[in-house]
Amino acid sequence: MSSSRRKGGGIHAGERRFAFALTMPGLLVLFLTTTFPLLYLIWSSFQTINLAMPFLDGFAGVDNYVQMWGDARFWHAIRLTGIYTTTSVVLQVVIGLGLALLVMQIPAGQWVFRIVAILPIVLAPVVVGLFWRTVMLSPNFGLVDYLIQALGFEQVNWLGAPTPALISVIIIHTWQWTPFAFLVLLASLASLPVDVYEAARIDRANAFQRFWHITLPLLRPAIVIVVIIRSMIALSAFAAIFAATGGGPGTASEILNLYAFKTSFIELNFGYGSALAVSLLVITMVVSGVLFYLRTARHPGTKT
Amino acid sequence: MSPKGRVSLRGIRKEFGRFVALDDIDLDIEPVEFFALLGPSGSGKTTTLRLVAGLDTPDEGTLTVDGVDVTFAPPGERDVAMVFQNYALYPHMTVRDNIAFPLKMAKAPASSIDELVREAAAKVRIDHLLHRRPGQLSGGQQQRCALARAIVRKPKLFLLDEPLSNLDAQLRLETRVELKKLQRNLNVTAIYVTHDQEEAMTLADRMAIFLEGTIKQIGTPAEVFDHPNCVEVAAFIGSPPMNIIPAALNGRTLTIEGHSVALHRDPGHPPGPVIVGIRPGSLRIDPEGIPTQLYLQENMGETWLLNLKLGEMIVKMRVAHSERSAEGETVPISFAPGAIHLFDAETGLRVQVN
Repeated sequence: MSSSRRKGGGIHAGERRFAFALTMPGLLVLFLTTTFPLLYLIWSSFQTINLAMPFLDGFAGVDNYVQMWGDARFWHAIRLTGIYTTTSVVLQVVIGLGLALLVMQIPAGQWVFRIVAILPIVLAPVVVGLFWRTVMLSPNFGLVDYLIQALGFEQVNWLGAPTPALISVIIIHTWQWTPFAFLVLLASLASLPVDVYEAARIDRANAFQRFWHITLPLLRPAIVIVVIIRSMIALSAFAAIFAATGGGPGTASEILNLYAFKTSFIELNFGYGSALAVSLLVITMVVSGVLFYLRTARHPGTKT
Repeated sequence: MSPKGRVSLRGIRKEFGRFVALDDIDLDIEPVEFFALLGPSGSGKTTTLRLVAGLDTPDEGTLTVDGVDVTFAPPGERDVAMVFQNYALYPHMTVRDNIAFPLKMAKAPASSIDELVREAAAKVRIDHLLHRRPGQLSGGQQQRCALARAIVRKPKLFLLDEPLSNLDAQLRLETRVELKKLQRNLNVTAIYVTHDQEEAMTLADRMAIFLEGTIKQIGTPAEVFDHPNCVEVAAFIGSPPMNIIPAALNGRTLTIEGHSVALHRDPGHPPGPVIVGIRPGSLRIDPEGIPTQLYLQENMGETWLLNLKLGEMIVKMRVAHSERSAEGETVPISFAPGAIHLFDAETGLRVQVN
């Protein structure tokens, strides 16, 4: 394609057909692995597919969506998804930015922190969930409980009580993904112009004023990108929560993605599970669309 | 009230790792003086400016402003303003906010800020661009914005780090004139770093020549041009700089490449090797003179510059259009005995002749 553009589009029809034939296998694989499942998901959300009651299977129209509208568990899951995503993304950005600012003060050896920061990210989410469930948060034996009791506080059932369970899965997600925000913001900080800070020092801005009036506005594009990426991922978080609490106790940490999974693969109600998954897809697309709009809408006319 | 802004540097030394950026610098800058720090890159002139600004601190020595020791004072406490080479404007702020920033940081009353910003912007003629952002300005406009931000607070010291080097040639000449006018009107001490000797010569009341971390000469542009006090300064100042020719001295007789020239006065220097410095414009064609070969001639517009081969050396000579000749031809040259500069071959220091 790039070669045809270089020639200004003057490419023979035969060559174009040949180029198309060459890309076909790739496109086909792409279609089969991404587009087809998506279309199949949408199709099945309009069906009744229930392995427990196969005699009811058939076209359902919007029945699944109507059922969803009146489903308290669905709205509960939406609320949890909102809390989970907002809290963990805010924590990631705040903690990540704080760490990046600290590490920027270190004159040498920043690479050590970059490497250490990578580690949680490269761990499989299931490993992360199990690690927290056993080593960190398990009652009596867990490191967190040990510390809390050593400091003279009362024991907390981190994964077994409703509110602590939600807090725990937020902490786990934040722990795993703060390094991402940290790395992006650190790279962005390192690229900020030095002389602008020197100008600010000469203009008598103190450290806090330099942060508020210079650093934060200049980091804004990077922060927005981190928020967009992390929100999209947090909305569809699954493995770490599944491994740590399984959405429980009860439905205390059951965000929408888990609810959709459980409906499909535990209750074997694939039709309704698909409808839940489609609703999550729509929410994710709307949220990221709004965030992208906010990213470009403000500060019109700024270059770079 | 007597004008303020007297700067004194005493025994300043600054090292970056093993590199000695500044070695034992002594410098006095008088109030309301336009003082240029001139030197090639890496000579320590920008380091000196940064020490005065407070962006760096010296390893040794003291720095006083109006008698107050500010060697280790942070920049904000020094009442200085600086124009950076790349302007260092706040990219996310409008021109108005850029100029207002030092006022806001100094907690100036909000009512006066607008007035002061307008006044400063008008002085550098960018008052019609206040709503723009730096990214929407041309290089010259950005430069003016940086100037306005520097003058808006009416600082005691006005520091300029190669402020014209990023402008195109035409704009540089215009801005140079305006800069000088601006400094006179503001009645403020200005320290100006440049590697462009023409800028230093035209702008400065006095200047310091920096070479390899030391100051070689301090004086008015005329003093430095007419009486360079060492070979290094002689070889640096002038465009092109003066010809540096090794010679032998014996009493009043100077021997260059086997040709003897009588000086009009005995320099009182012991016999032996010396270095002769002579400006390209001080040479003249003389049938009786030292024969050289024309190697290359360059058209400089109003004059021609002849590159003459004298032994193994190239000597540059400025001539009128009518005096140029064909390359390869022999051009005999001489000079008025009073037009030369003599330097000791060993120390490089000036030997007084005239």
